[in-house]
This record gives sequence, C-alpha cells and structure tokens, in this order.
Amino acid sequence: MSSLPVIQKMLVEEFGLTPEQVHPESRLEELGVDSLATVEFMFMLEDKFKLKMMGEPVPIKTVGDIAREVDIMVAQQGVTLGDGGSPP
Amino acid sequence: MRRVVVTGVGALTPMGGDAASLVEALNRGFSGVRPLDTPWIQSLASPLAAPVTVPVETRFPKLRRLMLDRVAQLSLLATQEAITQSGLDFKSDAGLDCGIFWGTGMGGATTLEHAYIESLLNHAARPRPSTIVMFMTNSSTGQIGIEHKIRGPSFTYSSACSSSAVAIGEAFTAIRSERIRYAVAGGGEALLTQGVMKAWESLQTLARPDPEHPETSCRPFDKHRSGFILGEGAAALVLEEEASARARGANILAELVGYGNSTDAGHITQPDVGGQSRAMRQALTQAGLQPGQIQHINAHGTGTMVGDVIETQAIKSVFGDWARQIPISATKALHGHLMGATGAVEMVVALGVLRTRIVPPTAHLLHPDPECDLDYVPEGAREIPALDVVMSNSFGFGGNNAVLIARRYQP
Repeated sequence: MSSLPVIQKMLVEEFGLTPEQVHPESRLEELGVDSLATVEFMFMLEDKFKLKMMGEPVPIKTVGDIAREVDIMVAQQGVTLGDGGSPP
Repeated sequence: MRRVVVTGVGALTPMGGDAASLVEALNRGFSGVRPLDTPWIQSLASPLAAPVTVPVETRFPKLRRLMLDRVAQLSLLATQEAITQSGLDFKSDAGLDCGIFWGTGMGGATTLEHAYIESLLNHAARPRPSTIVMFMTNSSTGQIGIEHKIRGPSFTYSSACSSSAVAIGEAFTAIRSERIRYAVAGGGEALLTQGVMKAWESLQTLARPDPEHPETSCRPFDKHRSGFILGEGAAALVLEEEASARARGANILAELVGYGNSTDAGHITQPDVGGQSRAMRQALTQAGLQPGQIQHINAHGTGTMVGDVIETQAIKSVFGDWARQIPISATKALHGHLMGATGAVEMVVALGVLRTRIVPPTAHLLHPDPECDLDYVPEGAREIPALDVVMSNSFGFGGNNAVLIARRYQP
C-alpha cells in the first residue's frame, strides 16, 4: 500500500498546505517547501513512524518523490505506517 | 552630514500588540508583569515575568514559522508595523539602499533550549535540522531581509541590554554619513525559557516577588528595590534621510540627533559612572545640544541596587544642577527588562513622549532611596508642555553603554 495518502495528510497538517496542493506531481519548491523544509518533513516521518533513513539521500522534488522514498524504507524495514486517514 | 528622521515605529511588548498600546499602557500605569503560566515555572524561586500575551505564532503560516524562533516572530511583527507606518516599499529599488540593524541578546533561545532538551535529556537521534538557522543571533536580521526584500548592508548587534540601542545608533550613523538612505533598526528578545530564567535567577538580579501585588515587584529607584523582571518583545524604527522623507511626503515622527557609545572597561557586570557619562556626553556633543536642553530621560533604570545608584550619579555628573529639573522615567517597572530588545522598546517610548508630551511614570516608587534623589516621576504620568528633546539610556553587561537623543522634527 502506498504511503502517499499518509504523506499528503501530514503535509496538510504540518505545513498548512491545502489538499488541492499536494498532488503527487506537485513540485515541493513551488509549494514553498524548500530543501530544508523537506529534510524537516523527512525527519518528522522518521519520528512518527519509527523509520530510519538509510544510505545516500535521494533527490526529492515532488510530493510523489517523498512517497516513493518512504515506500522503499517501509518495505526494507518492515514498518507499518498505520492509519494515515482518508486521502485528501 | 545628512539629517536622520524617524518615519515608522513598531513594538510588540508585554504591554500590547503595537507601539501605540505600549505608550498608552505605560501612561496609565498598566503592568505587564505576571506569573508565567507554564508547568516548569515551579522550578524557579519567582514565577514572575513580562511575557507578550497577544497572539504571535498564529500570525504566521505553518510553513513560514517552521524556520522562525519566537524571537524572529516578534521581530518580524514589530518590523511590519514600523514599515507599514513609514509607507515605504523595500521590494522596490529602495530595498537596495536600506540597511538592517538588529539587536538581540540571545537570539533563538527557545530553539536552542529545545534542542538541548531533546538531544541531552530525551536522547533524540538528532535535533531538528533547522535548529541552527533558528537560534543563530542573526536569524531575525536575515528573516527581516527576506520578508521585506531589504538588500543593503545588514548587521546584528549583541551587547546584552544595550543591543538594540546600539543597532539604532549605528543605523543613525550609517544614514548620517551617507552610507545608506534608509534603515530598519531595533531588536527582539524571547528568552523566557526554563534554563535561561534559572540562569538569571542564579545571578541574583531578579526582583523578589511582592506577595500581595506581584505586578509591582520591580521598583526602580525605590529604597526597597530588588532587581528586574525578565520580559520579551521586539521594537523597530524606520530611519530615513530627511530629504528623502520630505520628498516623498512622509509623515516625519521625530529626528534622531545624537548617539553615544562607550565601554566601561572595568567589570563584566558592575556599571560605571565614567562609562555611562561618556556615552551621554558623546550623544549631547553629536546632537550639538547643551545638557540644559534635555527635557526627559528614559533611564536604563533596571531596579538593581547598584545600577540605579550608578545611573543617578552618572546623570548628575553630566547634567550638574540641571539633573534635578529633568523628569526621568524607568519604564522597566511596567514592561519588564526586555534585554536585547529593551533599548529599542524604550526608544519607542521616548518617541511617544515627544509625540504626546506626556512623560510616563516610574511605577512602584513609593519609598525613595536617598542615593537616588532625582525627579523620577513617581506620582504618575505627567504632561509637560513644550517638551521637544528626549534622551534614552541603555547600559549592558559587558560594560557597553548606548545613549540616543531625539527631538521634535523642525524642517
């Protein structure tokens, strides 16, 4: 199961973005989420879901990129994201 | 030399959400001192502080405040008020000719303390990645530039309690000497955290709480004074070359005419009559004024036993017999000691005195100290007709003394 709905919900809750803004192809820079804010967000995900980012950081440009990165971590680490709520 | 005028003021303080409410609240004797409403306050001997109580955090979008410590939030709000009043738009070419001069004692104290708690006590894997850019002392300076597209030189001053007075003085100097045409100058402080407050408590400089009337615990120049109350807030001025302000039809609020800065070179905490006197004399000389032309002083007046006596002696040494004729206000009794922001806050108050010709009281001064025998306006706000020239004193730990003089603008 894709982590995308969970990530979209968190972007809305933590960064004050609207559900309409957080489509998979939405570019983070255009949403005002710069590289530092992206790292903040990845660390929030780590803390919330007890994930561990491994290896070299990969380029993250879009909302969908975050989901793909998290999906890989989830698969490797056998973590469950839990109830992320309804997709926006 | 260019003349330098003030075309905007802003303040977010324990007295209210803008500059006008600060001046008005002081004149009616409102105290911003109260017990802090937080669980850790029980670890302190005194629960008293002077916090900003108007909404702050919610005035920023979530994504924006991700990188803003409380001190930057306060600084941005005070700056916004001042720039709005000035009518200037620094997103235009004016932003290239504008400098930022900002003072703070500690920078992002809340962020730093949170990082320490998470890393050292809670054994978190790492603090937040934005920790550094939120606690560095020039964070507010940079954020002010980003918010308003101010692209000239920028400077951050940290000289404890005189930080923002130095910032205003150096901005004045930069415009006066034709380096820049505009400046946003002032300072912010937000250090009401458990660790910082305990450190101040340990230094034995905080006021003993009055059991019946805690809001009156800070008593500058009173025989029974016992220290100051820590406060938080920010204040900003927009300074501008006079000719530019006139050409654009700006509402000129006052003229800055003198700035003095000296170093005691004696002791890291003990104030010094000689150092303070030199700063006041420098400011008078630069302003081309005689001591007898100063009509009001906003004193540093922290309410410590030593500090108030030394400042009284310094004022006497500079002003001689005229010292007894000057109404002197120690407004920290009501708004608390805002540390790096306090010089700018008190300059906003002094400019309010010029505007209203009403001098705020030194509150809670009921038992005069024989060693502090000047006119501290203990009875309440006093109207003074034809009041046109004011001085504001700010003296910091480390031995830095900064003095500013402003006068009613005359073309």
